Amino acid sequence: MQSCGVLRSLLRHRDLIWALVQRDLRVRYKRSTMGLVWTMLQPLLTMSVMVVVFSTVFRFDLPRYPVYCLAGILFWNFFSQSIVASMVSLRANAAILHKVPLPKEVFPIATVISGVVNLSLALVPLGLILLATGHPLRPSLLFLPVAILVAALFTLGMGLLLSPLAVFFTDVVEMVSVGLSLLMYLTPIFYPMAIVPDRFRFVVRFNPVRSILEVFRDPIYFGKIPPLTHLGVAVGFAAVALLVGAWAFRRNSDKIPYYV
Amino acid sequence: MTADPVVDLRDVSLCYRLAKQRIPSLKEYALHWVRGALVYEQLWALKNVSLSLSAGERLGVVGSNGAGKSTLLKVISGVLKPVEGRRAVRGRVAPILELGIGFDYELTGDENIYLNALFLGHSRKDVESRYQDIVEFSGLGDFVRSPVRSYSSGMLARLGFSIVTAWVPDLLILDEVLAVGDMHFVKKCEERLAEFRRSGTTLILVSHAAEAIRRNCNRCLWLEGGQVRADGPPDEVLALYAGSSAERPGA
Repeated sequence: MQSCGVLRSLLRHRDLIWALVQRDLRVRYKRSTMGLVWTMLQPLLTMSVMVVVFSTVFRFDLPRYPVYCLAGILFWNFFSQSIVASMVSLRANAAILHKVPLPKEVFPIATVISGVVNLSLALVPLGLILLATGHPLRPSLLFLPVAILVAALFTLGMGLLLSPLAVFFTDVVEMVSVGLSLLMYLTPIFYPMAIVPDRFRFVVRFNPVRSILEVFRDPIYFGKIPPLTHLGVAVGFAAVALLVGAWAFRRNSDKIPYYV
Repeated sequence: MTADPVVDLRDVSLCYRLAKQRIPSLKEYALHWVRGALVYEQLWALKNVSLSLSAGERLGVVGSNGAGKSTLLKVISGVLKPVEGRRAVRGRVAPILELGIGFDYELTGDENIYLNALFLGHSRKDVESRYQDIVEFSGLGDFVRSPVRSYSSGMLARLGFSIVTAWVPDLLILDEVLAVGDMHFVKKCEERLAEFRRSGTTLILVSHAAEAIRRNCNRCLWLEGGQVRADGPPDEVLALYAGSSAERPGA
């Protein structure tokens, strides 16, 4: 019953959420084409580094590695940047939280939505790489919006779970950043599953982020819609993350103005 | 009057927990928790405050600095949830705890009208329908198209007040906002308050200016140390309050 109230209140503030997204994007792309170029260029540069590293230093053969790698980087950037930005968003809006009664979820939600917009823009250079490497363009690419939605719900859940903690303790953002870089190496973003030693494979296999990542990357790299079982598992993870995150956020919501 | 009260507080208490050692980091928190040495100083900003306001009542709140006035307004407006007691507020609340809250200084006045009203829970369509009225009342003219960072504090206050009061609320909460702005603007604000009075809006006004309370209120609450010292007609309560501050010169 209480969650109904929150949903209704969020619905009432939907124009606010959209305005916050626009403000985020305006700050990022303010008056300059550089902001826009950077969103597209940064993943390409990271990819180039990885291509050099993994095709000369650590050898493994993965056909059209740039596509594999870039798809992974785009996903990871979205995931990690949205989580950190969600955590920062409450503190950044402390003045409002002190003076205006509103459902505090609007800040993490707006953050994740602007992340989705950035991710969508970054799909442009991915398209260019697909064309440049002669990667077949399959209809499975049309599945991407669904994959992005699953990734966004999962990310929002994590953001809701972690952002109140960042209000209560200042060092949580740093801890989570370290945790995220560890998680990045436990997720097959730069490397294929096949090179993971058998002993460690279960860690990577049961990493929920891998499941979400593959739902995003399969349609791009393998040109196929992920099998229903994989999709089901990913949706399950996203649902659990969202429910737990929303519940934890609600529980701490009243305390936020006291600490922020 | 048999109607439900607009504001109903029952035995509301609220305490800010100040850690003796400031514990802003999880690491330190864990260390102190393990040692069992986490000591908190409790600061009771409100203690057993009960208050009931019916539609159309206009309450002035007085008290020295740190008496809990702003905290009381935060509880009524729903920003802070009290630690103990019950809070019930009916209808549309327009809280002005600070003018121009949420203004983005890089955006124009125009854009801030939208942003600010959206923070207050209005929809974009709502704002569009009141936009002209807001700009007119603020008296900013062509300045609405300039970035807010170029505004004077008076202009900011005018814009902020114009936005919040563009809609007739059931309950209007004002914290010291009539103190800013020039005479002309204060007069305009009070005219608007008079309009609201005619539409039956309930008002809560915190002010250090006894005169403002006499003019705008028909009931007065004196808070001291988070507790209600007096509650009654403005003239009586203001006289008591003035008497007590005369006893403690400089307080």
